[in-house]
Amino acid sequence: MPVIEVADLVKEFSRPTRQEGRFAGLRTLLTREQTVKRAVDGVNFTVQQGEMVGYLGPNGAGKSTTIKMLTGILVPTSGTVTVAGATPWRDRSRNARRIGVVFGQRSQLWWDLPLRDSLWLISRLYDVPEARFRERQRQFSEVLGLGPFLDTPVRQLSLGQRMRGDLAAAMLYDPDILYLDEPTVGLDVIAKERIRTFVGELNRASGTTVVLTTHDLDDVEELCGRIILIDHGKVAYDGAVDELKARYAPHRELVVQTDRLESVEGAEVVRREDGKVWLRFDPVRTPPAELVAAVLERHRVTDLSIVEPELESVIHRIYADRG
Amino acid sequence: MRGARVYLLLAGAAFRAEFQYRGNLFINIIGGLFYQGVGLAFIWAVLDRFGQVGGWGLAEIAFLYGIRLTAHGLWLLPGHQLIHVDEVVIEGDYDRYLVRPVPPLVQLLTRRVRLSSLGDLAGGVVLLSIASASAPVDWSPGAVCFLLLAVVGGALVEGSLQLAASALVFRMKRVSPIKFAIDMIFSDFGNYPLKIFGPVAGFGLTFVFPLAFVAYLPATVLMERGEELAVPEWLAWGAPAIGVVLMYAAYRFWERQSRHYESSGH
Repeated sequence: MPVIEVADLVKEFSRPTRQEGRFAGLRTLLTREQTVKRAVDGVNFTVQQGEMVGYLGPNGAGKSTTIKMLTGILVPTSGTVTVAGATPWRDRSRNARRIGVVFGQRSQLWWDLPLRDSLWLISRLYDVPEARFRERQRQFSEVLGLGPFLDTPVRQLSLGQRMRGDLAAAMLYDPDILYLDEPTVGLDVIAKERIRTFVGELNRASGTTVVLTTHDLDDVEELCGRIILIDHGKVAYDGAVDELKARYAPHRELVVQTDRLESVEGAEVVRREDGKVWLRFDPVRTPPAELVAAVLERHRVTDLSIVEPELESVIHRIYADRG
Repeated sequence: MRGARVYLLLAGAAFRAEFQYRGNLFINIIGGLFYQGVGLAFIWAVLDRFGQVGGWGLAEIAFLYGIRLTAHGLWLLPGHQLIHVDEVVIEGDYDRYLVRPVPPLVQLLTRRVRLSSLGDLAGGVVLLSIASASAPVDWSPGAVCFLLLAVVGGALVEGSLQLAASALVFRMKRVSPIKFAIDMIFSDFGNYPLKIFGPVAGFGLTFVFPLAFVAYLPATVLMERGEELAVPEWLAWGAPAIGVVLMYAAYRFWERQSRHYESSGH
């Protein structure tokens, strides 16, 4: 059952056209000419209950504008968004109860109050029964390790602690859908891992639908089965991560540590460095086992490995092709 | 009912947050008192020199000033945070208010409290209590009721103008100069009997910029000086209702304009 349906979504921003020449500033102020920028240009997709979707795109592609329309923050220029049966910006209060939102750059917590107070306030705003609130708080304290800083004012928390607090706040009232906008930005490796584990577990245990935007593709590889790529306001790709790799980066690379290797049949030498040779091959035409056998037959090899393409380079390639 | 409960909850949180900086508390309150005290001292100096302004003596003007100041404090206590509407909207902080099951305006107004507004309110109440005793008013229970309603209505009139001006932020991005101008008109013209400014300004400050409904009209009819008004007396008695109507209209305007919110970054 789809929980999010997006159809022909368009968002335009208009500004007074910047005037040139004499009195440019004043004329810009008075002009009636408008420059229209289409940030989102006819986006369509649906998300099923319990899916984890990575929503990716370079800066300025229309990624956060789309998320802001999904959460009800922005009103679209045209098109429709339906989230759990309601239109987010029209039915704001009802929508708010069904979604949890975490902005990596902007805390939802009360800056000057202890984290504990923020959680309590949110439980009241969302009418969470007292017993359920206590249970949730205990759960989160355990999984997210909130215990040591529950009584610290939010402004004194580290970024990692604050993000964990924000996640707990967003999930306190059991929303069906969780939007994460750059949840791991600026965090160290351990903090990132902790957040990914929490989100993954949440999805497995309670079937929470997760929509994730991020610049960290490790987030996506670890969490999302599906990605939606957006570029210039349009959907450039929508499908499984594996399929994307297969389509845009069908090659694997065999890295061999060897004395001297000029060429091998069925593979192409793409790089040499420090006595290592990178051989690119298409696993459909040249089965890896055969290639390895062929190399081992003719050369003294001290080490070898097969490298899968990284999502990051795949996405780079797609944008490079389109741009 | 839920609205009131949520408001109190959030306002309570804002108070608790403010008390984290306890040192500010008294300085703020005293600052607010002092600021308004200077205004009163100015009028006192004028009256001391000229005896009367437009036939109003010190007792009458102090009564008018008391109503205006109490209404101002009464509006400022919940409404002060509108002063930050520019930064909240431009920097995209308003985003957060749109994903909670609470009206965004309530969240904006309770983002912090400014305790200096308590100083304004306290100053107004003290002045109004003293002035009420010496003003030529026949204090029947009905008159007391009307005074209370007029003060609330005055707060609503001032609040509605500030709210409507704030609502322009969603399209204009920077509205603090407009709001500052409104505040100036209130503090420069609000403390005098409007008839001294002449019929044109009097008309403008009644029907274009409804300043007269805050204090001048209610004070005049309470002191039974209705015959000197350029408007019918029933309109003056209706001042509190005007406040309610204006505030309702301003809130609708705010809601409509907020659909043009553009957030920050894209």
